[in-house]
Amino acid sequence: MEYILHIAFMLNIYIMLVLSTNVTVMANLLTLCQAAFYGIGAYIGTLFLMQFELPIIIIALCVMGLSGLCSIIITLASVKLKGDYFILATLGFQMVVYTILYNWIDVTNGPFGISGIPALKLLGIWELQGVYAYFAVSLIAVLLMVALFAGLKLSPYGRALRSLRSDEQSLQALGRDVSFLKGSAFFISAAFAGLAGMLYASYASYIDPTSFTLLESLFIVSALFIGGTGNIAGPILGALFVVILPEVLRFIGMPESIAAPLRQIIYGLALVLVMYFRPQGLGGKEIIK
Amino acid sequence: MILELKDIQLSFTNARKERFHLLSGVNLGVQEGEITALIGGNGAGKTTLFNIISGFQKDYTGQVLFKNTDLSKLAPFQISRCGIGRLFQGKQLMGSLTILENMLMASSDRTGEFPFSYLVYPRFLKAKESEKTELAVHILETLFGKGCKYVDMLHHPASELSYGEQRMIAIARLLMGENELLLLDEPTAGVNPVYNQTIARIISEMARDKNLTILMIEHNMHFVREVASKCAFLDEGKIAVYGETNAVIDNPAVRSSYLGL
Repeated sequence: MEYILHIAFMLNIYIMLVLSTNVTVMANLLTLCQAAFYGIGAYIGTLFLMQFELPIIIIALCVMGLSGLCSIIITLASVKLKGDYFILATLGFQMVVYTILYNWIDVTNGPFGISGIPALKLLGIWELQGVYAYFAVSLIAVLLMVALFAGLKLSPYGRALRSLRSDEQSLQALGRDVSFLKGSAFFISAAFAGLAGMLYASYASYIDPTSFTLLESLFIVSALFIGGTGNIAGPILGALFVVILPEVLRFIGMPESIAAPLRQIIYGLALVLVMYFRPQGLGGKEIIK
Repeated sequence: MILELKDIQLSFTNARKERFHLLSGVNLGVQEGEITALIGGNGAGKTTLFNIISGFQKDYTGQVLFKNTDLSKLAPFQISRCGIGRLFQGKQLMGSLTILENMLMASSDRTGEFPFSYLVYPRFLKAKESEKTELAVHILETLFGKGCKYVDMLHHPASELSYGEQRMIAIARLLMGENELLLLDEPTAGVNPVYNQTIARIISEMARDKNLTILMIEHNMHFVREVASKCAFLDEGKIAVYGETNAVIDNPAVRSSYLGL
């Protein structure tokens, strides 16, 4: 049972990451640095957990706020850079964050990582113990995110983001500040990716930079492409696909030496097939252009 | 004058590092409530002039004054908020949005366009959305008649409409904002003759009933004669001829250099 709950917890973390990426894609910004914000959240969360004994909600808000603030660097790039150049800038940001996490040994302990991360405390008193408690908290976080993002998509703000994706120039001529729209979308996306990072760090009680590499960012974006964008169901389906697939391969008894490369092949093949036959993704509504 | 262009100059350096002057001192005044046509050959700089007015083209010299406010330092969205609406050349509506959403995005009321504001004042937001929807329906019914198909199709994706219909809705949605000046870049390009007539009618009605000032780029001279009261001919980077529409179109210099007659 604990094994299933562990998978379910990781599924929730990936749903949070893919849903948060969906916000920037809604604003017509494809990014390759979501793992960087995931890592920033994990490390900031760790610092808070190790230094202060605060209720989970306070730590979560601090982590989200600080992760969101880090997104300003990318927002500034988005004002000047468009299309492929912007995607390359996000790639650069991902590399810079990874390099900092790997080399700033005084703070991050570099490649050795940080172990013994304390558990989260509800209301500053009850410590979350075991996979049951973390699964419950992550599920609450996912349900909250789903409710918030569903409302966001239907709100005038969500409409403005979708317009941005359709025609940025016309939107400016209709009096909308596209820099604000892009910046706020990035802030929200980074904040929720940071929250996922904090939950993961506390659950695993150990983090190192290898969990937040470019490969992880590509993994998240692939999940979004496979699942689809423009709604809530798409990102959830995408996360389900990428988290459950390795377990299915394990379940059918395939040795890890074969399962690992096969997994990569299946991801790649799935991506190509989905893009060819269903470009809006398995459960998505809009085609990424 | 609601809009004044004073000595607008714009030049580019080409690949061979030669200086090319696209606009070399454009002076133009647009009177409030008038429909002015801007005509000229391809590459004369008409759309560039619209880009300068609406803030998409910077690096020019000279002054753009809208109600005596200098627009040169303002971003496009700030210029729009001053009361200048724009229809782009060849662009359609936002296809993935519904017709209603396209209309609502043109509203000058931006309530609820802050992240998660729907959590703070949901009832107020709902009331505002209803108000804006009513206005959108009112505009469509006023311009296209009661029970027009666009009202029935409010919740359909805009991409379901033909190009000509999208151009008409794109013009109509400019009434959602508190615009005083509309810049229409080739409103009839690629539109069939029937819709041309409708566009001519709605532009005239918008100017007359809403006291809007309209500056439009147009190559269809029948349309220009029908709709515009003033006409400016842009040639060799300057306003070469300006005056009453018929007089400008019948001007021998315009006829020979632009119309090829």
